[in-house]
Amino acid sequence: MYRIRFHGRGGQGMKTASRILGSAFFAEGFEVQDAPSYGAERRGAPIFATVRAAHAPILERGPMPQPGLVIVADETLLPMAAGGGVLSGMGERAVLLLHSAVDANTWKQRLQLACRVLTLPLRLEETGGRGFVGALCAGAAARLVGIVSREALEGAIRQELAAMPAQVLAANLTQAGEAYDAMKKHAGCVCEAPEAPAPGAVDANWIDLPFEAAELSAPDIHGALTSIQVRTGLWRTLRPVIDPERCSRCHWLCGSLCPDAAISPEAEGLPVIDYEHCKGCLVCVAVCPRHAIESIPEAQAREQEASP
Amino acid sequence: MTRRLLTGNGAAAWGARLADVDYVPAFPITPQTEIIEQLGAWIDAGELPARMVTLESEHSMLTAAGAAAATGVRVFTATSSQGLLYAMEMLYTVAGWRAPFVLVNVSRALAAPVTLETDHNDVLAARDTGFLQLHCATCQEVLDSVLLAYRLAEHPRVRLPAIVNLDGFTLSFTREPVEIPEPAVVRRFLPGFDPQSVRFRASEPVSQAVAVLGGTPYSYFRYEMHRATEQAIAAFEEVAADFERATGRRHAALETHRMNDAEIAFVMLGSFATKAVDAVDRLRESGVRAGLVRPRLVRPWPAAALRESLAGVRGVAVVDQNLSMGKGGILHAELASTLYGVPDAPVLTSFIGGLGGRNIAPEEFFQMASVTREAAQTGQAPEPRLLFTAQELREVRRLQGIALAERHETTHSGAERSAP
Amino acid sequence: MSETIYRRMSDLPSTHLLGGGTAMCAGCGGLQALHQIYDVLGTKTVFVNAAGCMTLLSVYPFTPFRGSWLYTAMASAPAGAQGVRDALDILCDKGRLPRDEDLQVVTLTGDGAAYGMGLSATSGAIDRNLDFLYICYDNEGYGNTGQQSSPATPHGAHTATATGPAGHSGFKKDLFGIWVANRPAYVATVIGTEPLDLARKIEKAAKLSGPRLILALAPCPTGWDFDPQQAAEIGRLAVRTGIFPLKEYLDGRVVHTKVKRPRTPVEEYLRAQGRFQHLFEPERRQDVLDAIQARVDAYWEHWDPSH
Repeated sequence: MYRIRFHGRGGQGMKTASRILGSAFFAEGFEVQDAPSYGAERRGAPIFATVRAAHAPILERGPMPQPGLVIVADETLLPMAAGGGVLSGMGERAVLLLHSAVDANTWKQRLQLACRVLTLPLRLEETGGRGFVGALCAGAAARLVGIVSREALEGAIRQELAAMPAQVLAANLTQAGEAYDAMKKHAGCVCEAPEAPAPGAVDANWIDLPFEAAELSAPDIHGALTSIQVRTGLWRTLRPVIDPERCSRCHWLCGSLCPDAAISPEAEGLPVIDYEHCKGCLVCVAVCPRHAIESIPEAQAREQEASP
Repeated sequence: MTRRLLTGNGAAAWGARLADVDYVPAFPITPQTEIIEQLGAWIDAGELPARMVTLESEHSMLTAAGAAAATGVRVFTATSSQGLLYAMEMLYTVAGWRAPFVLVNVSRALAAPVTLETDHNDVLAARDTGFLQLHCATCQEVLDSVLLAYRLAEHPRVRLPAIVNLDGFTLSFTREPVEIPEPAVVRRFLPGFDPQSVRFRASEPVSQAVAVLGGTPYSYFRYEMHRATEQAIAAFEEVAADFERATGRRHAALETHRMNDAEIAFVMLGSFATKAVDAVDRLRESGVRAGLVRPRLVRPWPAAALRESLAGVRGVAVVDQNLSMGKGGILHAELASTLYGVPDAPVLTSFIGGLGGRNIAPEEFFQMASVTREAAQTGQAPEPRLLFTAQELREVRRLQGIALAERHETTHSGAERSAP
Repeated sequence: MSETIYRRMSDLPSTHLLGGGTAMCAGCGGLQALHQIYDVLGTKTVFVNAAGCMTLLSVYPFTPFRGSWLYTAMASAPAGAQGVRDALDILCDKGRLPRDEDLQVVTLTGDGAAYGMGLSATSGAIDRNLDFLYICYDNEGYGNTGQQSSPATPHGAHTATATGPAGHSGFKKDLFGIWVANRPAYVATVIGTEPLDLARKIEKAAKLSGPRLILALAPCPTGWDFDPQQAAEIGRLAVRTGIFPLKEYLDGRVVHTKVKRPRTPVEEYLRAQGRFQHLFEPERRQDVLDAIQARVDAYWEHWDPSH
């Protein structure tokens, strides 16, 4: 069975990617199961979607602990723990495809991965920085599994994006086709992922859940502000950056209108953005009267931070 | 007939469309909402000649559904979880009206703590309402079951509303290949609604759902509902046979897999049962004579078929995706009462698994099989077991470490300002 | 609006459509209003009922209705009306029900459902511009369970849950105002002791479509503690003292249909009922009596300032 997992953020089209790939497999005569997995759907929050394809009816359900192919729409997702982690369950035979401007070898070393790592060059002008890359990712995946024809891919895109305007559909067909071509030399590198271990091979490792008093076992948070431990800054694909030269120190404007209360002034009145929690909505960029806040791609900002 | 990829929600909507429903009282709730959105889109596009009305609550939605059915139209509605419980008063009430319609429930675990993912405590809370219950394991079954449910609910010997249950996420948002029967085929299987005596019209006054005084008429009316529900066992056979003739697909009240010579069996409901099918096949490969029994019909309870299919089985692992506080698994209790007093009844082991969408891993099925074989050998069932690993407890401990920490120093400016 | 056929008392129906033999209390002001309403509405009606005293109108196998009836539950009778109305429309539209078989859908509830538990369902029905007539028989308490305080209980009244020296501390909710704020098709107050006023309002309401409320004060011998024989007199006092204004809302305007000048002191109405006796003995609660009179006066000062 082919097991493919797409990771991205709400709005990037990972559900659509899974549906395109699912429909393409289906057109090739496979039995298919595709599903998005998200909790409380929030734009910008990480989501993943899975595709299973096999020649026999698919009995497996739910999470995909052993993917054969993982596609990551956005490299800034890599530090996140969403869905048990973008890289969870990736064995040596698995393939990781990153949509990134950084080359595959660098990523392989950074992440210390045993599996094969590939990249699909990031072209921000095509995606608007944080745009829809569903068809692109599906196109790459279709070639990597090796048994999906270009016709099946295009048919699936037409089917899944039927509600989109003709121009948008055409652009997505082009992007997907380019991704499909870009993966040519890796075509068929994705293996049908291994079956689950045989009966008796792995212990379920159950424990007896003991009684614990309600003080401990009721779903209560005894404290305040624990949410600041959640680094929603990782949702960001675009980063607002304040130019201190142009900033007029009217911090009450950007600071009040920032939905996440992530902008506060330092002693001199210069607003400072809390990048741990800034989600990259860019309201501050839009409201700054002096146009002193600009947005830059998060990946680029991180590269700059990494190499001062 | 076309075969295409549909989500469970899409399949439910297709079922309603093919049933040519007249009326769809609605109220949104995750993970059901897509069903009413799809039906609304078809109605707006003129593809489905029905009327949809969004009520202000599920309680009102069920009232309107029952009232419309009692007036003589074919009604479809859908809800989930908290919505089903909010409507609970009306589930009992409208079932007593003896007006047939179909309610799709997309199973989602109940608060508190509130969550979005699936388990079966919601639909099993409706177990005693008088609604028939059909539980689905695949998206294909969702579509087929909606059609079966209308025939069953409208059957002259039954005439009760029916719930078709599908699991949130694992079916509701998951696409699988689904055969969509031709409308003409469905029309032959399920003709237009004949309300018989259930309707309002000026020339034939009727007072429906009136009060009774005293236990005698009450006992009579309520027990007759029970009798009608029992009739649905035979009626289901008839309806399923018709459905098979129409579509080629056979749906038994009790689904079994490799039970012929089974020594141990899993018994469970819903979509995770396909994982059990896989586990059974793997166990067979390794020499264990395992099987699976999955009640599709939960109300009426197919007791005779269960006794028959479990005859000769030595151990049964009951996997409950639900929990009755202070008792344990609901399915386990139902099955125990079904097998009580049956000579050479199998030993029952009880597992609580899949609460709130928690996965059940292949190795857990294998271990349940192993525990059950041992219980069958010793004749002693172990204590009921929650499927919960040491790693999961460590994860809970990590969360508790945050939730239960003393209010700690923080650099957040808001906290500083609020300090005295 | 066409001319009324009810110009004088002698125009009122002399034979009655609602059957006898019901379980309602002797002297029930709600039943008095309902049978008059039914005479005007006629039998091409389906009553959708909520839990309350009148649930016991239809007890198997007895019904006083010549038309149809559906019992729902306390909170959702307007939603039941929605289902019946929609289904009738569907059947007519699809040619499965001849138009002359269509029915007027009437919701019938007490004040407990109308002012409280069912208000959400009522609000939803008005939002959806449901074509239905809502009849509330208002006996100012949960009468069917022994007259506990409800959102319609007046200030100072004794109820089964307000037995202290000052009676019920809350004030009767303005259901008429809540409906009017939603700009429905029609809202009117009626009382069985003013049958001509009632008949004209039902006649008017029956010709309109959309959400319509008939709010009927229902003097209740059991819950208000008076001799059934006094029911008519208490109903008349409710109007003469101005504590229950007879009015209607139509086309954006509220019109009072009976304005008594001068008004009888409200004390006369209160004194006639056991539920207010604690305001007179063992000692007179002038403070409470004044408060009640002041609210009545303030109401009429607003609506009828010249008197």
